[in-house]
Amino acid sequence: MCGCTSGMNGTIFDIKRFAIHDGPGIRTTVFLKGCLLRCLWCHNPESQKIEHEILFIPDKCIGCGWCFKNCPKHAHKMEDGKHVLHREECIRCGVCAEKCYAGAIEVIGREATVGQVIEEVLMDKPFYDNSGGGMTVSGGEPMFQPEFTAALLSEAKKHGLHTCLDTCGFAAWKYYAAVMDNVDLFLFDLKETDPEKHQETTGVLLEPILETLKRLDDAGKQIYLRCPLIPGFNDRDEHIKKIAEIAISLKNLLEIDLISYHPLGQAKLEHIGMKDKLGISKFANREQTEKFYAKLEKLTNIQVKIN
Amino acid sequence: MNYTQRIKNLREAKLRQTSEKLEKLGTRDEDDYGCVIPPEDFKWQPPVQDTNGSFSGARAWGRNFRSLMENHPIYIDPNDALAGRWMFMLSRMRKGYKLELSNFAFDYSHLKPNQLKYDITCGIGKDAHFAPDYKIGLQLGWGGLLSKVKASMEKYGHDPVARELLEAEEDAILGIQNWIARTAKAAKTMVLQERNPVLRENLRQMVAINTKLVAQAPENLREVCQWLAWFNMASRTYNRDGAGGQLDELLRPYYEKDKAAGIINDDDAEFFIACLLLNDPHYYQLGGPDKNGKDQTSPISYLILEAAAKLKTSCNLTIRVHDDMDRKLFRRGVEILLIDKLGYPRFSGDKALVEGFMKNGFSRELARERIATGCNWMSLPGLEYTLNDVVKINIAKVFEVAFYENMKKSPSLENLEELFIQHFETAVETVAEGLDFHLEHQYLNEPELLLNFLSHGPIEKGLDVSHGGAEFYNMALDGAGLATVADSFAAIEQRIVKEQCLTWQNLRENLANDFTTSNGEEVRLMLAASEKFGQGDSLGDKWALRLTEILKDKVADRTTSLGRRMIPGWFSWADTVRFGKNVSATPDGRKDGMPISHGANPRPGCRRDNALTAMAQAIARVQPGYGNTAPWQLELDIGLVKHPAAVDIVMALMQTHFDLGGTLININIVDSKKILEAHKDPQAHPNLIVRVTGFSAYFSSLSKEFRQLVVDRIIEKTV
Repeated sequence: MCGCTSGMNGTIFDIKRFAIHDGPGIRTTVFLKGCLLRCLWCHNPESQKIEHEILFIPDKCIGCGWCFKNCPKHAHKMEDGKHVLHREECIRCGVCAEKCYAGAIEVIGREATVGQVIEEVLMDKPFYDNSGGGMTVSGGEPMFQPEFTAALLSEAKKHGLHTCLDTCGFAAWKYYAAVMDNVDLFLFDLKETDPEKHQETTGVLLEPILETLKRLDDAGKQIYLRCPLIPGFNDRDEHIKKIAEIAISLKNLLEIDLISYHPLGQAKLEHIGMKDKLGISKFANREQTEKFYAKLEKLTNIQVKIN
Repeated sequence: MNYTQRIKNLREAKLRQTSEKLEKLGTRDEDDYGCVIPPEDFKWQPPVQDTNGSFSGARAWGRNFRSLMENHPIYIDPNDALAGRWMFMLSRMRKGYKLELSNFAFDYSHLKPNQLKYDITCGIGKDAHFAPDYKIGLQLGWGGLLSKVKASMEKYGHDPVARELLEAEEDAILGIQNWIARTAKAAKTMVLQERNPVLRENLRQMVAINTKLVAQAPENLREVCQWLAWFNMASRTYNRDGAGGQLDELLRPYYEKDKAAGIINDDDAEFFIACLLLNDPHYYQLGGPDKNGKDQTSPISYLILEAAAKLKTSCNLTIRVHDDMDRKLFRRGVEILLIDKLGYPRFSGDKALVEGFMKNGFSRELARERIATGCNWMSLPGLEYTLNDVVKINIAKVFEVAFYENMKKSPSLENLEELFIQHFETAVETVAEGLDFHLEHQYLNEPELLLNFLSHGPIEKGLDVSHGGAEFYNMALDGAGLATVADSFAAIEQRIVKEQCLTWQNLRENLANDFTTSNGEEVRLMLAASEKFGQGDSLGDKWALRLTEILKDKVADRTTSLGRRMIPGWFSWADTVRFGKNVSATPDGRKDGMPISHGANPRPGCRRDNALTAMAQAIARVQPGYGNTAPWQLELDIGLVKHPAAVDIVMALMQTHFDLGGTLININIVDSKKILEAHKDPQAHPNLIVRVTGFSAYFSSLSKEFRQLVVDRIIEKTV
């Protein structure tokens, strides 16, 4: 073993250059696939499972028939003049997407080595240097692929990049301990502060998340709290007060980002064969977000931003 | 009646005039010039006309211009610090005028077959498009210029060509002086009628200033602004012109003197400048290094920016970004851009421009003085004749010729590339011959009577600037359609050569039939989904670099037969629609007659994440690099503007583009919703200003096709 990790494979679902909402400056955000949480409002539902998924947008189909002919399971069918994907038969092999030039079918998720990802990330290095930006690892949940995440961050550091890790905090501490030295800033998601509601809406316990947050803070790591505001779910005064309490308790918190909910993730659900459990299609109320913003600033005296 | 109120009144008047222009003249895909509609009862015909109703030659231009000036309606707004508005373009009053094809009294039909074959905008008969040195005029005034013309007449009176030119120059000055004198007289009458004491005093000063400026040189800031406005208006009236200069440095000595003498304060200065910017959207540069590399930013650079910010009309200010600049000017420029969302200021990159121009054999000192004074162009004020932005080869058309020739026998990618190079070379040769033809005849067709005054040489030598009067001849030649052709080569390489999922014959059939064959749409989408320029390390990027090499190889480091240098650039101006109409379907999936790609930009939507960093790099890499530009037409979404660190991000984005070799950035701040609404109903948003290419204009004044183009860029539709 040479200890070189640049050949390590991970599953990513996107790399976004010119990311300006995922930490300071101009950044490239690497989105890893797979997450333990099942937040009802997830804006990237296609990132939840680690397996590849088939995204199918019937409206884009031009009826060329390639997928009908080439699907090994005949999961694509024309029924009553409509192109239908029978997901129960689909084995997610991705053959159908290979020649879907209309963009109706896509495979979500691809394997990439650390070296390949870093090569793409380094393309924008001059912009990071001029803006104080760098690389952000996000997801999904990066800690769903802890070794790959650690290798990415370590490699980025070798190239002198500023690094952010966007995490929900729900992973074994040893994984955080392993990456900590290679992360300049943690973008820490705090979705719900009521333990019961947290479990109800995200599927996991709140306590270990708060524990991770505290330990990162105790370790002296710089933190931004990222708090999504979901209409009808967590847009409560008590939640904001609780965020403020947590924020005040942290020694290394630099900023709180209030993230206004947008229903675009819900629109994607149908295209990947999932059901909408949230049932809201409205955007977060701007006025209310600004009210919470003012409240948080007043209560914490910490920089608050609306993203 | 304070300055804020007066600017508001002036701005409202400007909006009314813009609506009136739209109503009377229809849509126009050009700058929003400062002109106004003449009174309805105004009638004028050029007194000197050829039998065909057009006119040419110095004598005719001089006489006609003088007559137009002597009859030009007077315009005075008591709110304005400056008198006058222009109303006509003499060059467009020649019978048979077309924007895309200038009148030309000499037969160049021998060049036309190739010009048509390669869709060349040849520049023959085109006017202006180089920059004046205003300092000449500010030092001499109209009286001094007249004396200079007369002195030259003494010297060259024996030479009939020089004599005709200089007599015409005299006519031009006499006409302008008449216009100014009549305006001063009219202002005098208005003083008696004006009831508002502030405006009455303003009119009184207007009388004094303009009475003086008939012959004398300006001596204070307001007089300088008025003199510049007179020259600009006269030059617009003569032949559209529009080039500006280093405005901060032109005004600074007068501003400093007036302030030191206690004649004006900054509010006065800002108001005078606002009136100058309102008078006409000429192209001015701010900041940048002087010839020794010292930053030229001064308090008046900021006043100019703030004046524009107060005015909020169409403006063409460019901030030159360089290593030793005052970063505060850069920052303030970006702030105004993001707050006002009116497409100004623009930003140019000093490093690449200077180093590029030096490759033509010029000194660093001179290269630093070559400034942004036009849509895409750089020019040495008063020293250079360039035909900037009016000489172009539609390389999509060159590609089309090469493609069908390649199909005649056993087609191959190598053969296609070779044919493209051969045809491009022939196209460049045709342009070079055309430039020589223009330079041999233009003085007999349309001498530059106005810009000659502010050039170093023409009056002194008795030679028109197009005919040996200028110090340097650096003829611009731009390629248009870069992404269309790069993506077409890439699609062929990917689908036919590498993947072998399409045959040459099938491609030909689909292109010839505009993708209407039974599987046409499928083939089109497959081609359109090929690797594109702008994605980063894609086949499209490879071909864009290759095309840039070809452009440089065939255009730079060579001269025309008459020894005139040519400088390459990538720019399509507002001609993407017109060029597109002349090109059938292309292998990038573009359909017959659709617009070609814009300037040096990749196709909108070439990357799913629309990463501006990727675009910044792609465009920086395809800079021809000889001192002319390949501008980045940057559409910034309104969402970015709301980002708390928007100013820093945009500054870093632009700075990096310049670090990587970028030359010029034209920016639009795009509120997609507003633009889409305005596209449906232009009159619903009469104040909406967009930067179309190098120029900005009221969206409502653009033709439907051009509005569509702006809309397409914005919604990032792929072909």
